[in-house]
Amino acid sequence: MQAIAAKIFHWVNIISLFIMLTSGLQIYNANPVFGGRAGWHIPPIFTLGGWLAGGRHWHFAAMWLFSLNLLWYGVYVLVTRRWRHRFVSDKDIKALRLSQNQQRRAYAWHRIVYTAIIPILLLAIFSGIGMYKPAQFHWIVDCFGDWQALRVVHFVTVPIVVIFSLTHFLLGRRVGGDRLIESMFW
Amino acid sequence: MDRIQVPRRQLLRRHFLQLSGLSSVSLLLGGCGTPLFEDLVGKVSEPLNQKVETLLFNPEKFAPEFPVSAIEPEALIINSFNFTPQIDPAQFRLVVDGAVNKSLSLSMAEIQQMPLTSMVIRHVCVEGWAAIVQWGGVRLRDIIHLAQPKTEAKYVYFKSADGYYESWDLASCMHPQTLMAYQKNGESLPVENGAPLRLASPIKLGYKQSKWVTNIILSDRLLPVKGYWEDQGYEWYAGL
Repeated sequence: MQAIAAKIFHWVNIISLFIMLTSGLQIYNANPVFGGRAGWHIPPIFTLGGWLAGGRHWHFAAMWLFSLNLLWYGVYVLVTRRWRHRFVSDKDIKALRLSQNQQRRAYAWHRIVYTAIIPILLLAIFSGIGMYKPAQFHWIVDCFGDWQALRVVHFVTVPIVVIFSLTHFLLGRRVGGDRLIESMFW
Repeated sequence: MDRIQVPRRQLLRRHFLQLSGLSSVSLLLGGCGTPLFEDLVGKVSEPLNQKVETLLFNPEKFAPEFPVSAIEPEALIINSFNFTPQIDPAQFRLVVDGAVNKSLSLSMAEIQQMPLTSMVIRHVCVEGWAAIVQWGGVRLRDIIHLAQPKTEAKYVYFKSADGYYESWDLASCMHPQTLMAYQKNGESLPVENGAPLRLASPIKLGYKQSKWVTNIILSDRLLPVKGYWEDQGYEWYAGL
């Protein structure tokens, strides 16, 4: 049984992330990060919005849902002190080094993976703000070197977040079965 | 008599939940590759986003400028919505009217006598690419001051020789890096980049920066007609 907060967070996160990814790929197609207009375009089945302005509408609407959801959950995890035992710790690293118990090792890997998703999501937001308001937040662009580097980083968060989310799902199921997965949503 | 065996068709909670999960995923996936209410989403979210963008915009803050060596001459892609108008610079007039006390009709010679501002800035396109480019020209705010705007003036419309039209908030027009440019990368502005006179600014997306501007109209209100791309769904404020 999970706290209702964890369920709400997972629902809002998966839906808003889905909108962010698909609308982001729509925007990508206006001028592919790799190769410009002559570059490879994302097949329309993975895009949302229909055209550039539609993709931007979805992207800049869902960004609020996505980032505020992450924010309140972060505050919740801090205030309820869940951060102390819900995320990866040196015990997991120790288990991976010493334990032969496959179940314990999978559990440790799972905690590494879902903990790592948090900085990836934060990086997506951070690089996204830099692209959205490069004049007001030019120091964000500077953090990444130049504009193209910023675009690459923002784009690369897409495959990384997809891979980590799938791994999170698979390892979660291995650790806790379907019951654990379902308990995170229902 | 044998009892009739009714097959048990009880929908287990788990199956029900799996089914409803699947159907919501298919609803989401079904929307892919389509606009799926994008215009509605834009209408709902844009007022909020515009409020935040206006709050973020600092009218006195300079966007970063770069050394001349950073200019990327090849990176600036030419985007025009229709055609490239040929304008005789000797005949050209920039008309400034609307909510002003003193309408203007300026020749290129008169504009070039005004103080020249040069900046090397990042030009950002809505499509996602950006280019470091040098623009040289007159600060738009100098022209607006000359025309003595009425107190009720809040918006500025730009009409171009190719039929393109745009509108800006006055505060962004008064920004010290918003220019009516007639130079690009140290040379006279090429005709495909908007010669003889174009808008250039690091604080707005590229589609706000009209080329071949012939008429500047100050207004107390934003009309239903906002700009060529805006009227098709692009965001109006488009601040950077």
